Amino acid sequence: MLSSTLSIAMREMPSHAFTIAGRIVRQLIRDRRTMAMIVVVPLVVMSLIGLSFPEEGVLDFIAPALLATLALFFSFLLTGISFLRERSQGTMERLMASPLSRLDIVVGYLFGFFIFALTQTLIIVLFTIYVLGVNYYGDLWQIFIFQIVVITGAVNLGIFISTFARNEFQMVQFIPLIIIPQVFLCGVIWPVEQMPDYLQWLSAVLPLTYAVDGLRDIMLLGRNLIDVGSELVVLIGFAAVTSILAAITLRRGAAS
Amino acid sequence: MALDRVSFNYNGIKAVDELSLEVPGGISFGLLGPNGAGKTTLIRLMVGLLRPRTGSIQILGKAPSRKTAHLIGYMPQLHSLYSELSVWHNVDFFAQIYGMRDKHRREQQIEEVIRLVDLWPRRKDPVLSLSGGMKQRVSLACAIVHKPPLLFLDEPTVGLDPELRVTFWDYFTALTQQGATLIISSHTMDDAAHCHRLAFMRQGKVIAQGSPDELRQATGRPEATLEDAFLYFIHRDEGNA
Repeated sequence: MLSSTLSIAMREMPSHAFTIAGRIVRQLIRDRRTMAMIVVVPLVVMSLIGLSFPEEGVLDFIAPALLATLALFFSFLLTGISFLRERSQGTMERLMASPLSRLDIVVGYLFGFFIFALTQTLIIVLFTIYVLGVNYYGDLWQIFIFQIVVITGAVNLGIFISTFARNEFQMVQFIPLIIIPQVFLCGVIWPVEQMPDYLQWLSAVLPLTYAVDGLRDIMLLGRNLIDVGSELVVLIGFAAVTSILAAITLRRGAAS
Repeated sequence: MALDRVSFNYNGIKAVDELSLEVPGGISFGLLGPNGAGKTTLIRLMVGLLRPRTGSIQILGKAPSRKTAHLIGYMPQLHSLYSELSVWHNVDFFAQIYGMRDKHRREQQIEEVIRLVDLWPRRKDPVLSLSGGMKQRVSLACAIVHKPPLLFLDEPTVGLDPELRVTFWDYFTALTQQGATLIISSHTMDDAAHCHRLAFMRQGKVIAQGSPDELRQATGRPEATLEDAFLYFIHRDEGNA
């Protein structure tokens, strides 16, 4: 049993994942506006919050939450649109007829988006510390590892959701359905404890709640990855479920 | 390659119906038929994108799978390219996913195919800046860069002007001369005349196969064109049904 599972795993080794990651990076870098959006949007949002809440501490409280929110938002949306285009322009069909495995494709997308989302994380952290003068505890590498788990879930969710969209407009319409409710319900702006009971229950099943909690603990309280283990486990679970959904729906569009 | 009584349904409609076919190596084999005859479905079955409901398919002696995938080249109906990327990077990407790891050899082969499709001066341009015919040529380059012995081309000449159509057939002849087997779908008799062997398709079935000459002669009229032959077989098929 174990040996057969291992041999399948060996055969399914994503040996071409770097090729795909490289292509995604090249495609996004060529698209100057998207690159600008990835860098500029978080800085504008952070500055606006810093200016509109002059009270001490508001930005400290919101910045960690924004790290998670923006990683989720960009990875989800850009993966979704990239995948949609793979399907609509027919390249998915080529990939599926090639020797690539599904794992190659999913892991390739993950690596590609790790690079962008972690660069974004780094920019936000540096900006909040050096420009906005916010003080943080916690190590950058722990923030990165935590973010990698968040991004993994977001990329897989993007792949899965892209099967329900026929064009870019429809993909964008998933933002108010999937991203915005999480921004309001997961403690990004106001604490979950101040919301009515039934909304608190709802926030308990949304992944961003755990991402926000974990990053706040690391950055504001200087906790480590083991301290935020329970949040991490929930997020790994979310990543696992979405990767199964992504793997199941991956072929769609290539064979329809 | 051989197909034995292969069937495939789409939402209860028989796209491919108990179809048997044998394609000898080193020739260009034309799948001819009107739109909706099942040509694309048949090609998707042969490249392994779809699994047959019944029957079996053999590609170079094996059932189509990821293990046979490197032996085939596939040019889908759409251009199927990454439009932001340059000609070179598109061809390079497909060369890499088909396992061409050695950088030096890969670059040689990429240069060879880009020159073959006469796009060397445009190699650095993004695909979205190219004309339809040029995109078609890049798409062909992506399908042949790993030198597959078996090549599936789904309506490769659609939308090409007559001059480029002739050029494409020059490419195809060069490929068969190098020993490759080409399976080409088309609905124009102009393409059909270039093929070594043909299969006329209608409603998911092969209604006749043979060389262009054999098919013409089957009508019993020496002056018959391939178009006449196709109509002749359609009427005969309707008579049988």
